[in-house]
Amino acid sequence: MSRVRWGQVALYAAILAGWELLPRAGLVPRLFVPPLSEALAALVADRREYLGSLPTTFGEILVSYLIVCGGGILLGQVIGASAAAQRMVLPVLRSAYAVPLVVLYPVMMVWFGLGSESKIAFASIYAFIPTLLTAVAGVAALSPALAETARAFGATRAQQILYVSLPASLPSIVAALRLGGALVIVGVIVAQMLGAADGLGFLITRHRTLLNSPGVYAGIVLVLGITGLHEILLRRLERSVAAYRQA
Amino acid sequence: MRRHERLIVAAGALGLFVLWEVLVRLGRIDASLAPAPSTILDALSRLLRRPEVLASLGVTAWEVLAAFLIAVPLGLGLGFLLAEVSALDALFRPLVNFLFGVPKSIFLPVFILVFGVSIPQKIAFGVFTTIFVLIVGGVAAVQSVPRELVTVGRVYGATRWQVVREIYLPAMAPILLESARLGMVFNITAVLLCEIYGARDGIGYRIAAWGENLQMPQLYAALVLVAAAAVAVNEALRLVETRLGAWRQRS
Amino acid sequence: MTRALVAIRSVSQRFGVDGASVPALEAIDLEIPDGQFVAVVGPSGCGKSTLLSLVAGLRVPSSGTVLCDGEPITAPMPRKVGMIFQEANLLPWLSAEDNVAFPLKLRRVARAERLAAARRMLELTGLAGFETRLPHQLSGGMKQRVAIARGLVQNPAVLLMDEPFASLDEQTRMVLGDELLRIWSETRKTVLFVTHSLNEAVYLADRVVVLSARPGRVVDDVAVDLPRPRSFAMTSSERFGVLKDRIWQHIKHAERR
Repeated sequence: MSRVRWGQVALYAAILAGWELLPRAGLVPRLFVPPLSEALAALVADRREYLGSLPTTFGEILVSYLIVCGGGILLGQVIGASAAAQRMVLPVLRSAYAVPLVVLYPVMMVWFGLGSESKIAFASIYAFIPTLLTAVAGVAALSPALAETARAFGATRAQQILYVSLPASLPSIVAALRLGGALVIVGVIVAQMLGAADGLGFLITRHRTLLNSPGVYAGIVLVLGITGLHEILLRRLERSVAAYRQA
Repeated sequence: MRRHERLIVAAGALGLFVLWEVLVRLGRIDASLAPAPSTILDALSRLLRRPEVLASLGVTAWEVLAAFLIAVPLGLGLGFLLAEVSALDALFRPLVNFLFGVPKSIFLPVFILVFGVSIPQKIAFGVFTTIFVLIVGGVAAVQSVPRELVTVGRVYGATRWQVVREIYLPAMAPILLESARLGMVFNITAVLLCEIYGARDGIGYRIAAWGENLQMPQLYAALVLVAAAAVAVNEALRLVETRLGAWRQRS
Repeated sequence: MTRALVAIRSVSQRFGVDGASVPALEAIDLEIPDGQFVAVVGPSGCGKSTLLSLVAGLRVPSSGTVLCDGEPITAPMPRKVGMIFQEANLLPWLSAEDNVAFPLKLRRVARAERLAAARRMLELTGLAGFETRLPHQLSGGMKQRVAIARGLVQNPAVLLMDEPFASLDEQTRMVLGDELLRIWSETRKTVLFVTHSLNEAVYLADRVVVLSARPGRVVDDVAVDLPRPRSFAMTSSERFGVLKDRIWQHIKHAERR
């Protein structure tokens, strides 16, 4: 293993060791950062509670995922297929990207209450614009020769999108999925933190108000695990899809 | 956008608002959930005349500014360090990339545990959320400077300092500005998230309070205000970015 | 005999790669008199560009000395030596005239003075009227003209050119070649011109130095006795062909290996 690798391993080991030992030594208040082992112990001890929060959380994530990625990607294909549409829509989207969408959550709570609908609505709106931008960029990057070839063979606009543009933009579609999925997960968890009756984010907030630091960190570790898993799965998908792009 | 396309977009937006207004007046949209645009605009003008609302806006603006002014030099400095010292880069880059990809919002409870609900907490969280974009941007900016230009500088007798000032800085400016602009977007979102989650003041706190009390016109008015302010800041930064980066066009 | 302006004496260059050292140039001896136009050719990797960077002061020779005007070159001497690269390497955020004035700015020459000098150079290189254009608004050939103007703005005695026309299309290359000869005849600089093109070398130069494959050694030093001013018609003369063939014989063997 190269020296760089050794250095990195040492770095991560030092971080984990610090996480464990500094609180124990009293150098870092336990309220701020509990020892790593205590956080993990809380995760195990309260596992029923954490696992119980997952179905709601995953359900909300899944529905939002479908809305954002399904809708976003299809809309991206349609917009990307027309240069005029791109010119009209993209500047508006890019400016809208600056809007701090988190302020919409109180509105969602008024409309939909504390239940899953408000989380889904919020996460979908939160993730939609970035995903749409990625999807449009993917279609716009396609060689125009592909579309022209399709039209030369008599394809209608719809057929061209379905049979040529969609498959050709598969790598960028997966990239959009990866981005959209990550944002949806964050959106759902944050919404649950802000106001909910159930879910992982709700648990984290509850532990915080009770000043149960190990519980808070346990929840965060779990969220990191979920996002990490999602990231790994989608990277793998991206790699396998990108392979055929070389052809 | 071509001129007639601009008109189409503007007309479309206007049309949506008109439709909204009409539907509320006809009772088709519940005014208690989504008041008419005219009601919102009226509430907005009244809000802007209330000193306590303006004070809250000031608090939020102060938090955003403070976090930005800390995060930008710190983040860029770290980015430059990583780009110049390859040993540090090799060691820390995977960690930075990992942290960059991790959603920072979930760490908000930790910041409250450490700082309590307070202004320093919001500034610290803002810095935390923003700094990674700037580190990555700092690295990218340094790496974007073509080495050949540095050679040109040397051939014509540039000192170290001249190479930095006459070659590096102008070459890096577009990417640095873009990172700052993106950082600001994340920063504003982070500060508002803090205020909605738990705060004693700030426009985000008021938005959450208006929501809880079902004071919809004020809530929507504040949303319009915040959105307009955020977009205005973003466009202003983009203007500077475009001006200083005009030379990046391909012929 | 005119005193040598650039003297390269017993110069060898080695590069250290992962512990082992690779020889790039070996025992180069060249005396270049003031005002001579010297072309340097050789197979790929023979060290032509390395030789140029030694004269530019960007590198120090592993052994031997490089002298300009009797003084050893250990660092860039921007007042004496101007350099033009294969890519124009203009600063993309500066206008043409600011690019040309750049070496003067580094020497803290006043703005009015340096812009005046820059505009004179742009006129010399045929770019009058384009002073305020940005590089992205200029064609490849025009960018190289700006680069040449920049190389000339400090009135150096020596001009180093590292395959300056290699990334241009053939017609532009021919036009710029003639331009270069015109400028050279007006300013009489000493030129060291590295090129891959034998046509270019024989057409432009007084003298063609041929390097062997790595490690580069001087295998031939051809005096080009074609009359000046050069014309396109000369390129189809018998003498031209003989000179080219002589050079080609050296390179042919090297490339085959």
